[in-house]
Amino acid sequence: MVNYIIRRLAIGSVTLLMITFVVYGLIRNMPGTPLTVDLAESSPDKQISAEEMKRRAEIYGLDKPWYLAYWKWAGNIFRGNLGRSIQEKQPVMRVIGPRIAPTLLLSVTSLTISYLLAVPLGLYGSARSGRLDERTTGVLLFMLYSFPSFVAALLLLNLFYVKLDGTFFHLKPGMVSDSYPQLSTGGKVLDIFKHSILPVFCYTYGSLAYYSRFVKANMEEVVRQDYIRTARAKGLKPLTVLVKHAFRNTMIPFVTMLGLTLPGLLSGSVILEEIFSWPGMGRLFFSAITTRDYEVIMTETLIYTLMTLAGQLVADILYAFVDPRVTYS
Amino acid sequence: MAPADRQSDPGAASVPAPRVPVKGRGYWQETWLRFRRRRLPMAALCFVALLGLIAVLSPCLAGTKPIVCRYKGRLYFPATSYFNPRWENPIFMKDRFYKIYPKNLKKKDPESWAVWPVLYADPYRRIRDGEWDNRKGDEIYAEPNERNLFGTNQAGVDVLAQMIHGTRIALLVGFVSTGVAAVIGILLGAMAGYFGGLIDMLVSRVIELVMCVPAIILILTLLAILDKPTIWHMMAMLGMTGWTGIARLTRGEFLKLRQAEFVTAARALGVGWMRIILRHILPNALAPVLVPISFGIASAILTEAGLSLLGFGAPPPNPSWGTLLNSGKQNLQMWWLILFPGIAIFLTVLSYNLIGEGLQESTDPRLREAGK
Repeated sequence: MVNYIIRRLAIGSVTLLMITFVVYGLIRNMPGTPLTVDLAESSPDKQISAEEMKRRAEIYGLDKPWYLAYWKWAGNIFRGNLGRSIQEKQPVMRVIGPRIAPTLLLSVTSLTISYLLAVPLGLYGSARSGRLDERTTGVLLFMLYSFPSFVAALLLLNLFYVKLDGTFFHLKPGMVSDSYPQLSTGGKVLDIFKHSILPVFCYTYGSLAYYSRFVKANMEEVVRQDYIRTARAKGLKPLTVLVKHAFRNTMIPFVTMLGLTLPGLLSGSVILEEIFSWPGMGRLFFSAITTRDYEVIMTETLIYTLMTLAGQLVADILYAFVDPRVTYS
Repeated sequence: MAPADRQSDPGAASVPAPRVPVKGRGYWQETWLRFRRRRLPMAALCFVALLGLIAVLSPCLAGTKPIVCRYKGRLYFPATSYFNPRWENPIFMKDRFYKIYPKNLKKKDPESWAVWPVLYADPYRRIRDGEWDNRKGDEIYAEPNERNLFGTNQAGVDVLAQMIHGTRIALLVGFVSTGVAAVIGILLGAMAGYFGGLIDMLVSRVIELVMCVPAIILILTLLAILDKPTIWHMMAMLGMTGWTGIARLTRGEFLKLRQAEFVTAARALGVGWMRIILRHILPNALAPVLVPISFGIASAILTEAGLSLLGFGAPPPNPSWGTLLNSGKQNLQMWWLILFPGIAIFLTVLSYNLIGEGLQESTDPRLREAGK
């Protein structure tokens, strides 16, 4: 097992190096640099001289070709230095730090809700498999799964933000109201709660439909096994058979699924965060791309790739724990 | 499965029946038979066919140019210029039509006649007063009304016309990008599965690499690198990031099939590896691979709409469902800019997902054995 983990870590670090190298090359080849994009936005009287430009380019390592600058970046990362955001004029950690909590708020809430609801829904689906009510919910879940979350987001905003303006149900985009700093602690919590209802809903319904279908599909696989027939034959209650004998054995694919959701926790959704003006990681990434903020893009890529690789590794290791038949030797 | 007609006449059992070679149903036929039995996937297939029809006939359904017209003694097909602007006959430019056909045709040649599209509306521009008989001009931000069934956008362009012409882009994005993905995925997956060893390891590493980079980073940066990204660039990009699932499945199928007797037989006959892969294994591996392809089309359409919504999609004059959503995002009170294109995207994605699901069920060997 230890051997296996060490080998995986070695392969993973090579993959990490390759991915960051490729992404670094790509973003350095986008037209314009953070300096020129910055200039284009500021007024012409703030033009800086060519020498000043050169000096700044040197500070940010923009004077070297990208394949050389990459190694400087990678070396800094190794020393724990993530670099400075050129746009925000402060360390990347300070720029990304405040974005983590809003994204986690959405992703963790949504993940919890969808898992909590998906399991009973999936169990219900497999218990009443083939009946009319199950078929109807099945079709509904499938439709929900296919409904684009950004369309739902826009429609909900149209309803709750525009149409219901002035009523009790009025909900606004953004994470906090303008009056947020003056609110009491309870008021602050309520304010964030009210703002997060719509984004959480849009984040959740698709994955809820997906997970419950996943649970049901795995259950149907297990229910066909011989030991389920045995359990039924010895007169156990249907619910006991379903939960104790069948569902526990569907946990194996579930574990893989958990590993795959790990990167999604921190990456945020670019489109949904844009629509809801949610100050999270996805929105930061989008603005970093448009302003060519190299260091921010690279740090986000690094986080995402690390989480993806870690998720895969954790899933594979957990797999061996959950299912004793699986060994890595 | 025994053909039913063998047992149809029990009385004739004593007489030795003439030996007619029974040709078994092929893998494809079998899959199609199973697929056809499912109602929802079949309905979805019909819907996609309908969309294809709308896309092909879009200039005949909504437009301001005659489908066919006789002008100064010759026949022209001005509506085809909706497919490609270069197909517009220069004579209309020379005679200063300024894209307004109904008035100018009669004025410049009283003998002329024309067959018009069903709906007098243009996906690119606003209709002005008196262009078409007594039809009033369109207003900007018009709510759905009898002239503009789905309303108009911020420039006064008819939403229904944009949606009809946007069908072309949506279908094209789905097919072309997934086609690119399928070619890359099947080729790499087939090589990895058939040869194994070093090639397999290399391909698996590349798959892992592409899977780990978030697609949206790749697409946004690649689109930014290009000076003037067109819709074709985006399709290529979507294809180049979406092939991993197809490659993995193809690899698995090939790993399984390369041990089969018919492959050994082909190899013993001295058939080359290229021919074995393409002619012998691929036809038997293709049906399961169609499943991720169908889901891939759905996700390509979704990604295109999402990118257009962010403003990274097809350049503005191109009518696309996502571009309509983008103007809806900027004008949240204009519900018709969100609802109608949203429903179109939903139904299309749902159809492809249903087809994928149907294919999955009809190619799944376990369900096959169960006779479902």
